Amino acid sequence: MILASAGNALVWIVWVAAAFSCLASGVAVISFSNAFYSALALIGNLASLAVMYLLLNAEFVAAAQVLVYAGAVIVMFLFVIAYVGPRRETPWSGGPGWQTIAAVAAAGALLVEIVVAVGLQASGSLARESKVGAAFGTPAWIGRVFLVDHLFAFEITSVVLLVAAVGGVILGSHTRRTDPGIIGVGAAEEREPEPEMVH
Amino acid sequence: MAGPDVAWYLAVAAFLFGIGALGVLVRRNVLVVLLSLELMLNGGNLALIALSRHFGNGAGQIFALAVMAVAASEVCVGLGLVVALNRRNLSLDVDRLSELRG
Amino acid sequence: MTGGSWLCLLAPLGGTILITLCGTRIPRVAAGWIATTSVFIAFAGAIWAFIGVHSQGPPNFLGGPPWAHLPHQGEITTAWTWLQSGNFHVGLQLLVDPLSTVMMLIVSGVGGLIVLYSIGYMDGDDEERRYFAYIAFFVFSMLLLVEGGNLLLLLAGWGLVGLSSYLLIGFWHERPSAIQAAKKAFVMNAFGDATMALAFFILIAHTHSLSFGVLSTSGFSSTAINLIALGLLGGAAAKSAQIPLQTWLPDAMEGPTPVSALIHAATMVTAGVYLIARTHVIFEQARTVELIAAGTGALTLLVAGLIALVQTDIKRVIAYSTMSQIGYMFLGAGVGAYANGMFHLLTHAFFKALLFMTAGLAIHALAGEQDIRQMRGIGRLMPFTKWCFLAGALALVGIPPFSGFFSKDSIVASAAALGTWYGWIFWVCGIAGAFLTGLYTFRLWFLVFPGEPSPFVREHYHDHHGREGAWTMLVPVGILAVLATVGGWLQWSPRWTPFTDWLAPAAPTLQAAIPTNTQEYYTSAATVLAGLVGIAAAWAIYSGRRIAIPSAPFWRRTLENKFWFDALYDRIFYAPAAWTTAALRREFEDPVVLQTGPDLGQTTLETGGLVRRIQTGFLRTYVLFLAAGAAGIVLAFLIAK
Repeated sequence: MILASAGNALVWIVWVAAAFSCLASGVAVISFSNAFYSALALIGNLASLAVMYLLLNAEFVAAAQVLVYAGAVIVMFLFVIAYVGPRRETPWSGGPGWQTIAAVAAAGALLVEIVVAVGLQASGSLARESKVGAAFGTPAWIGRVFLVDHLFAFEITSVVLLVAAVGGVILGSHTRRTDPGIIGVGAAEEREPEPEMVH
Repeated sequence: MAGPDVAWYLAVAAFLFGIGALGVLVRRNVLVVLLSLELMLNGGNLALIALSRHFGNGAGQIFALAVMAVAASEVCVGLGLVVALNRRNLSLDVDRLSELRG
Repeated sequence: MTGGSWLCLLAPLGGTILITLCGTRIPRVAAGWIATTSVFIAFAGAIWAFIGVHSQGPPNFLGGPPWAHLPHQGEITTAWTWLQSGNFHVGLQLLVDPLSTVMMLIVSGVGGLIVLYSIGYMDGDDEERRYFAYIAFFVFSMLLLVEGGNLLLLLAGWGLVGLSSYLLIGFWHERPSAIQAAKKAFVMNAFGDATMALAFFILIAHTHSLSFGVLSTSGFSSTAINLIALGLLGGAAAKSAQIPLQTWLPDAMEGPTPVSALIHAATMVTAGVYLIARTHVIFEQARTVELIAAGTGALTLLVAGLIALVQTDIKRVIAYSTMSQIGYMFLGAGVGAYANGMFHLLTHAFFKALLFMTAGLAIHALAGEQDIRQMRGIGRLMPFTKWCFLAGALALVGIPPFSGFFSKDSIVASAAALGTWYGWIFWVCGIAGAFLTGLYTFRLWFLVFPGEPSPFVREHYHDHHGREGAWTMLVPVGILAVLATVGGWLQWSPRWTPFTDWLAPAAPTLQAAIPTNTQEYYTSAATVLAGLVGIAAAWAIYSGRRIAIPSAPFWRRTLENKFWFDALYDRIFYAPAAWTTAALRREFEDPVVLQTGPDLGQTTLETGGLVRRIQTGFLRTYVLFLAAGAAGIVLAFLIAK
């Protein structure tokens, strides 16, 4: 019993740490003026999420999260951020004043609504928690479910990945200098100094 | 399950989603907008995984994997766009990319 | 005999359709011959129908409800049911009975002669084909009116003749005066159509039917029957140009002369008399209205006769003469002597068409001149025309043995037969009218035909290859001259009355209106005497031997202004209407209605402009809207739960 409660307490401690770092790194992502630092903060976010997945019996998903997200997606981000060069902007500047207020209001509204929804449902359909077997969340189990119950989703996902790869190649390929460009007019637009940028 | 029950996870997911939405709405750098988008997707993922555990239904984890794949694709295309923008010396400020005005 | 009636009705319609379909592919004169042939085929059909009715047996006794004799003396033939609404049936029916066969013969016979005359008269006109299509259509419409087997078909024919009249009066549509005259005629006729329609509504409300049989049902309240009779009288007065709806007829002379002869002398304007004779059962139940009709006729015959004294256009004189003679017919029909009124209709068709056509010969020879002050002495150059006109003039005045004598006197005698105070007034009007007729007719004669030709005539007269006109013009004039002379020998009341007897089953003379022999004789003597006095006065004043007449400027002005009717109507109806329409246009139509189009466009543009402001081009704004929308949807779901 002591072990159980100690185990419980351990889970709680881990959970609190992971949740805190998750949210803190989330705030960091949107707060840094340097895009590079934002990307690094996202790595922290993804790692804490992976910890929470482990707590939820989703080992395979946690591993995939670290490998795919933190390992590939963020690296891509870091490459492109490095490629485009240094740009710094203050997060809360620019645009019509009302827009900032409206943005905060909209995001806050979404948040409040979700919390309310969860809170209201808590008495209803979230009452019963089900027991899961030991195999729940293991790679073998995931594989079987993917290829038996949700084969269609599996195939569609692969098609999506293919399309994205092709799109990425096309977008990134060099075009002839005389070509007006896929993006359209404005190809010859000079890079203008942005007055709001803080150096 | 041990530890917090599903409502706590859902709360964290909601906050994560809200923070990501705020980032998309407020930041002007295209790359940071994309990063915030990732935050929102991850918030959704967390909710999916938590509920999957709560109901014992494996479809939630499968869905989360699909979301991850889609997020990766979207990032790929989005970054391709950023590279193309950069190559044509266009600004990466969202407020300046406003030629589709009415 | 019903086959004859269908042939009679449809032949002119076929002529119209054929001319219209052929268009410019046929030569102009071919259109004329198509029209003439179709009307003569109609005449053949009318004869066939007439023989059919005649062979049904000798006409029966006078009086009594005529419809009881329908199986013997008349027949209704139905093509198909035209309207059906509950109990209300209207079929495409034709009625073949003594009254309708008489009208069919007049319309198709005199009409055929006039259409033949038109071939010569309208020769060379650019739009000859249109003319003949219209005139064949008119003959069809008039036949529909007289052959219609129920009141609705009669009304249809009524409207169509109004339309044909409008089309033909305004035939030379480049002349603004012609267009004005056509509109005036149509609007006044439309007023009559409206009163007739109202009468029909009341009839339907009471009897749920418009067949001729309902006319003899009793049980109408006196208000209803009076209203019905008044409505019918309104229509008849408008169509026949009786006071107070008479102002359109003189202006209708803007149309070609054959049109004036056919429509405004022989047939259409007599439709009012036909209507009264056809619906006499209703009028007899509303005796007051019938006597109002007679009074209207009496008044009109005097007023028209007076106005004709100062007219200088030869066609206008004859037009007022028509108005006056129809006044006689209304007088006859109004007192209850329907057969007498119809007999005068018959003889009048002959001599009035003759007068118009001879005048047309003179007008045509003088290249369109119609002013009698210029036409002096043309008789020397056109003897045939002169003698034919004289025959018509004598018939018009009512000198025996010409046709007018036989028909006009019986009408005046019927007025005397009433014995009441208004009967005697009508009688005096009739006699005075005979004097006026003699005076204005022979004023016209003496001013135009005899004597030395005026310089104008010498200069402008041109004959047609040595003759006075084309043979297509001379032959009908000759035929009508003969008919005007002998046509009256059909009946000499009170001794020999085949015409009255023929019409008796359909329109029996009222007992009160049958004059005694004595009344007939002294009335005849009085009218002939009055006519002769009129002729003598005209000879004294207007021919070579002149005596002075007092100038009486007030009377002259009144007559020249046609008793101020036109000015009055202009003041009462036209000027307020014109003011109202101008005001409406200024206040309502231009600022509101016409502005609606541009305003709608402007509003749409501005709304679009407002909506366009959403497209700011800023990504963040779009995302904001997305987020706000998502929040809204979630909120809606929450509330729904």
